[in-house]
Amino acid sequence: MEERPVSLSLKITAFFMFAFLLAPVILVLPISFSADNFMTFPPSGWSTRWYVEFFGDTHMIGALGTSTLLAVAVTGLSLIIAMPASYALVRMRLPGANVLLSFFTAPLLLPTIVLGLAILIVFAGHNLLGTFTGLVIAHLVIVLPYALRVLTTSLGGLPIPIEEAASTLGGSPLVVFFRITLPMMAPGIVATCALSFLVSFDEAVISLFLTGPRITTLPVALYQHVETQADPLVAAISVLLILLTLAVVMIVDRTAGLTKTFVK
Amino acid sequence: MSTTRQNLPGHLSIRGLTKRYEAMAAVDNLNLDVAKGELIAFLGPSGCGKSTSLRMIAGLVPASSGTISIGGRDVTKTPPYKRDIGLVFQSYALFPHMTVLKNVMFGLEMRRVPTADAERRAREAIALVRLEGKEERRPAQLSGGQQQRVALARALVIEPSILLFDEPLSNLDAKLRDEMRAEIRDIQKRLGITSIFVTHDQVEALSMCDKVAVLNGGRLEQLGTPQELYEQPATAFVASFVGRTNRLRGKAEGDRIDVAGMTIRAPGRHAGTVDIMIRPHRMAMRPILEKAAADVEPTNRIRGTIRHVYYSGDILQYEIEAAQQIMTVEQATASGGAPLAEGSDVELAWRVSDTLAFEVRQ
Repeated sequence: MEERPVSLSLKITAFFMFAFLLAPVILVLPISFSADNFMTFPPSGWSTRWYVEFFGDTHMIGALGTSTLLAVAVTGLSLIIAMPASYALVRMRLPGANVLLSFFTAPLLLPTIVLGLAILIVFAGHNLLGTFTGLVIAHLVIVLPYALRVLTTSLGGLPIPIEEAASTLGGSPLVVFFRITLPMMAPGIVATCALSFLVSFDEAVISLFLTGPRITTLPVALYQHVETQADPLVAAISVLLILLTLAVVMIVDRTAGLTKTFVK
Repeated sequence: MSTTRQNLPGHLSIRGLTKRYEAMAAVDNLNLDVAKGELIAFLGPSGCGKSTSLRMIAGLVPASSGTISIGGRDVTKTPPYKRDIGLVFQSYALFPHMTVLKNVMFGLEMRRVPTADAERRAREAIALVRLEGKEERRPAQLSGGQQQRVALARALVIEPSILLFDEPLSNLDAKLRDEMRAEIRDIQKRLGITSIFVTHDQVEALSMCDKVAVLNGGRLEQLGTPQELYEQPATAFVASFVGRTNRLRGKAEGDRIDVAGMTIRAPGRHAGTVDIMIRPHRMAMRPILEKAAADVEPTNRIRGTIRHVYYSGDILQYEIEAAQQIMTVEQATASGGAPLAEGSDVELAWRVSDTLAFEVRQ
């Protein structure tokens, strides 16, 4: 990206825009350190009791474990599925590849609540409700379109002559893919992992349909907690989630470069 | 297709090679033989089929019909990675995630050459293109010229039976291009690798290559040495594409051609509408008042008026209105003589043997 001098007025405008967007998020931080029994701002006293509470709450910690495991599984599977799919769509010049891509990414446009209901109806007949497998499949429906979008863009941006050069030098198609194409796609793959992980970890609507007493994810547990209690526990958890998101973004930035990965 | 043995097929032999996209023929019935060690240029304007032909030889584009054989082996259906061909791309196409050394070693690795041996040969190839000391650099850390040298080393190190160049110099600036031209020619001769060089730059084709194949609209217009192309162009297209020409159109009867009421003679016999072409520097020009020297050889003479004079140091270029056309005449500048003034009447003269005449197909 080109660096251009930014005028002072633009900087001020940008500052207030960001302040407006981030204010609620920032507000969560002081509330999470509240000593009160209810969410109030400003808090009447300070403590870390709600963080202690969270780590002692077996229900919440269990949900966190489920969410993490789920996000990791969904990320891995989405990569394994979307990688060959994007290669077929971009490189093999199948007839109707564009139509297929639009079809595969259509779930992005559907209201999640509709998807959730549809999945509920299908899963009810297959004993998948309230199971880890069911959650993985449902999350894949949401995550795959993202993975496919990022990977097809990444692959489409690679210069074909480089692969052709490898081929004329004696590389069979499989060797060319693993030795040349895959390493060149690294930024796209890192971006796909980050995006898949965060989308799955953050998913609440569909999970709400599929979770139950046996299994629940962190966003659903949070939602249910807020319904019954208004203590600052959710603020403490929110701060931890923000830190997790920041960590993922920073890992992406360090390994692949943030602008290189997400801005094309 | 039967191959007759009356003339020995070349090291690279192309028979009836055709590439069709829908109804359009990008390459139409190309026949060509390249002898071992020869450097041959594919020259033509963009869209003439030269790159498509090269890509078919490399195996990157499947041929619609026809055959390609290398050293007597039919490779028409062979995938690129089994063809034993080196290809140097216009965009260099280096592997961005590998060092220079790893880039050059890639082809040897694919051939299962033991690592120590491969590294020694790769270092030799890097030295051959004068990049010693850059082995551990990444392509992005090199200049365009250096990247193209790496690409050349990478293609050379596998000792391919054919080396292909796809406009390898067009991304380089003029000075570097001249250097690389000489260097590629030198290395190619030294190693004796049969090579094809695709270019749209006639200077590149004429100055580097043993032979030039001029392509136009997917067809081979002429195959010949640079001199043959320039002195005896087979078609009007070759005459106008290779070198510059003045073009006149007239009606021919035998060796006499009538152009706007003037008679111009040309070698050979022609009939009907004819295009005449004369190279700008093969025409002499003098003021009409001067007495003509007796012609030693048969000469064409026409009269005209100078419209513009362009002075560019080495060369004086005159634009002269004659035969209802603007003709260009070039003269080397000489000390002590002022250029002729714009508006003066002059006589143009050139040898009949320098007159190229082509019947216009109607």
